[in-house]
Amino acid sequence: MWRDLGLAVLVLLSAAVESNSTSPPGKPVLLSCRSPEKETFTCWWEPGSDGGLPTTYRLYYERERLEGVHECPDYWSAGSNSCFFNKTHTLIWVDYYLTVVASNALGNATSDIFKMDVMEIMKPNVPENVTLLVVETEDSPYLHIRWEHPRNTDTESGWVTIKYELRIKQEKNNKWKEYMSGTQSHFSLYSIAPGGVYTVQVRCKLDHGSWSEWTNSTNVKVPNYVQNERSFWILVATLSAIPFMAAMCILIVKRENVKQCVLPPVPGPKIRGVDFHLLMSGQSEDSTNALIINQNFPLIVGWKDQMEEYLIVTENDIGPPSDASHCQKRKKSLIIPAGFCSDWEIQCKSTHIQNDCAGGTKNETGNFPKNNKSLSGESLSYMEPSKLQKQQCLGQNFVNTEATDPSPLNYDNAVKPFTNSGYVDIRKHVENTQEVNVKQVDYSRVEDVNGDNVFILNNKNLAFNSSGYMDFQRQEEKLSEDYSRVKEVGSNNVVVLQIQDMSADTKNPHATGAHKMGVCTELINSEYIDTIPAPPLM
Amino acid sequence: MLLIWCAVLILACLELSTRVGTAPICSYGQAGCHTPSLADIFDRVIQQSSRMHGISSDLHSEFEQYFFPSKNLIGKPKCHTHGIVTPADKENAQRLGREQLTEVILRLLGAWGDPLLQLYRSMSQDQNQDFNHYSSNKALEISDMVHELRDGVAKMAEKMKLSGVLGNTVGYISPEGLVPSSSFSFYKHGELNSMDHHDLLYCFRRDSNKIKNYLQILKCTTLPGLDC
Repeated sequence: MWRDLGLAVLVLLSAAVESNSTSPPGKPVLLSCRSPEKETFTCWWEPGSDGGLPTTYRLYYERERLEGVHECPDYWSAGSNSCFFNKTHTLIWVDYYLTVVASNALGNATSDIFKMDVMEIMKPNVPENVTLLVVETEDSPYLHIRWEHPRNTDTESGWVTIKYELRIKQEKNNKWKEYMSGTQSHFSLYSIAPGGVYTVQVRCKLDHGSWSEWTNSTNVKVPNYVQNERSFWILVATLSAIPFMAAMCILIVKRENVKQCVLPPVPGPKIRGVDFHLLMSGQSEDSTNALIINQNFPLIVGWKDQMEEYLIVTENDIGPPSDASHCQKRKKSLIIPAGFCSDWEIQCKSTHIQNDCAGGTKNETGNFPKNNKSLSGESLSYMEPSKLQKQQCLGQNFVNTEATDPSPLNYDNAVKPFTNSGYVDIRKHVENTQEVNVKQVDYSRVEDVNGDNVFILNNKNLAFNSSGYMDFQRQEEKLSEDYSRVKEVGSNNVVVLQIQDMSADTKNPHATGAHKMGVCTELINSEYIDTIPAPPLM
Repeated sequence: MLLIWCAVLILACLELSTRVGTAPICSYGQAGCHTPSLADIFDRVIQQSSRMHGISSDLHSEFEQYFFPSKNLIGKPKCHTHGIVTPADKENAQRLGREQLTEVILRLLGAWGDPLLQLYRSMSQDQNQDFNHYSSNKALEISDMVHELRDGVAKMAEKMKLSGVLGNTVGYISPEGLVPSSSFSFYKHGELNSMDHHDLLYCFRRDSNKIKNYLQILKCTTLPGLDC
C-alpha cells in the first residue's frame, strides 16, 4: 500500500512537472511594417514565449472601407514572423488595423492593435549600381557619381518621387560630407584632391517617407598625374633658377668690375701743365709759374715716376751756388715731362738729380750721353734727354748746366731736380739783359760754330731770369735757340756742343752736320713741344 | 562739354535699360503678356501641393505629440471628404484618366477651403490650449494655400483644354456640391473641440498627399519627361 501511494505520488509529480513547462503562448508584438515602393508592404512581429508547445501565429487585419476581419494573405514571402501584402491587398490612404494572434494547445495570445497607413511606412530599398568616375578635364578633374534607382521602384509614372542623398568621405578624414541630389541619379564633385581616395554612399527616400539604408561604400582613387605635371614645372623652375642665382651672385661679387665695365669712369678735367698734386700740396709759386709759363710751352706735370733732370750750365765765376735763393730760382725752369724719349744713344732714363743747393750732390751718372766726356768731378754738362728728341739749334746755343761741385771751370752747375724729364735748358741771354728784369744768370755764349762743334768762348755772366722759362721766352725772340747736346766741355770754359741734324720724325741720334743755325725741330712723342721759332736749317 | 555729353548718354542708356524690364505675367492672357508654359504651371502646382502637405504633416505630428501620445488609442476618424471617390492605388489612378483625375483634384481642393479656415479660427481662439501661436499661423498658411492651389489647378485645366490635352468633360465644381453635408460636422459652424482638431488635421494630411500624388501622375501622363 505504501508502495502504491508512492507510485501515485511519483506519477502526480511527473505530471505536475510536465504541465509546468507548457503554457499558453506569450503575447506577440508587432514591430513594424514597411512599403518599399508604395505598392506592397510587409509587416513583422516578434513572437512571445511559445509556452513550450508548438505555437502558431496569425495576423488579422481590418481595413477602412472594408468590412470584416481578414487574415494575412502571405506569411512566407517575407520570411518568418512576417506578413506580406501584395498589390491587390494594398491600398494607399487607408488605415489598416493589424493584430497578431499566437495560439498553442493551451491558449491564445493577441497582440496590440497596430494602426498604420501605407503612406506613412514608405522606406525604399537602397539605390543600386553606384559607379564612380574620375573625369579628367584640362583645368581640374572632377568626380562623377552615377547610380540607379532601387529595384522594383517605379519612378516613371509619377506614382512615387524619389529623392537621393549621398555622402562622400576622403580616405584621410573620418568625416562624411552630405549632398542632396534631388531626383537626379547622378552627381558631380569638383575640387578633388589628386591622389586622394574617395568613398561614396547613396541613399534615397520616397515622397515624405523614411530614408533608405546607405549603399555599400564605393571607393575610387584619383590619379596623381596632375600633381606630377605641376611638380615637373616646379622642377623646371627650380633648375632654371640655379644658374640665374649664380649669375646674380657673380655680378654682386664682381660689382666693381661690372661697374667699371658698364659705367666707365669719366676722366676729370685736366689742365695741361698743371700738376694737380702740386697744386694741392700748396706750392703755389711753382704751379702759378707753371701756368704762366705754359702759354707757349705746354707743360706736363705730375709724372712722378720719371724724374726730370734739368741741367743748367752756367759759366761764371760764381762758385757753386750756395744760397738757397739762387737755387730756388733756378728751380724755376722748364720742366720737361718724362715722356720725351729719344733714340739717341743717350739713354732715355730718368735720372734723379738731387739739387742740393746747400750741400751739393753729385750728379748721377745715369744719363750721361755717350758723346759727352765726363768731367771728373768738374762741372759737367750733360743733358738728360730722357726720351727727348732734342732739337738742336745752332747759333747761339747756350747750355746752361750746373754742377754742384765747385768746378775749376767756374761753372755754375746746378742741376735742378725736376720730375721726370731730361731737359737741357739752353738759356739764352742777351747782352742787353737790362731789357728784361732778369737776374743775373750765367750763360755761356756760343761764339762760334765750327763744323760740328760749337765753341763757347764767352764766359760771360748772363742775366738769369728769375723765371728760367721766362728768360727763355724773352730771349727766344732774339736768339734762335736750339737745344744742343754738349759734346764736351773744354777746359777753358768751353763747352763743345754737338750739333745734330734732327728732323721731326726721324730718330737719328747721330746725325750731324754743319749747321749754321740751329735746327729746331719740334719734339715729338711728347706733350711738350718747344715751339721755338728758328729758321730751319735743313 | 564732353563730360556733359557723356553724362547725358549714360543717363539715356540707363533709362532705356530700365524700360526693358521683365514682362509681367498676366492671368487672363492679355496681349503682350508672357504666360508660363504648361510645364511651368505643373511644376509650380506640384511644388505648392508638396509644401502644403509638408506643413499639414508638421501640424498633425505636433498635435499628436502633445495631445495624443499614443496613436493607437485614437478611434477611427471620419473625414468629410469620405464621399469623394479617390483612387487608392496606382493601377486605379492610372486607369482613371486625366479628366477624371483633374476633377478629383479639384474636388478635393474645393472641399477643404472652408474647413481649414474654420480650423484656423478655432486654433487661434484656442480655448483648450491645444495649440501655440505658430501652429495657428501654419493653419492659416495652409488655408491660403488650398485656395491658391485650387485656382492654379483650374487654370492649368483650362490650359490643358486649350492645348487639347484634356477633354471637355471637366466642368466647374462648386464646393457645396461636392461634399455631403451629413458627414461633415464642421459645417455646423459650431465650435470645434480637440477631437475635431485632430480629425481635421489627420484627414487633411491624407488628402494633401492625395492631391500631390494625383498631380504628379497627371503631369507624368501629360508631359512625360525627366522628372517623372
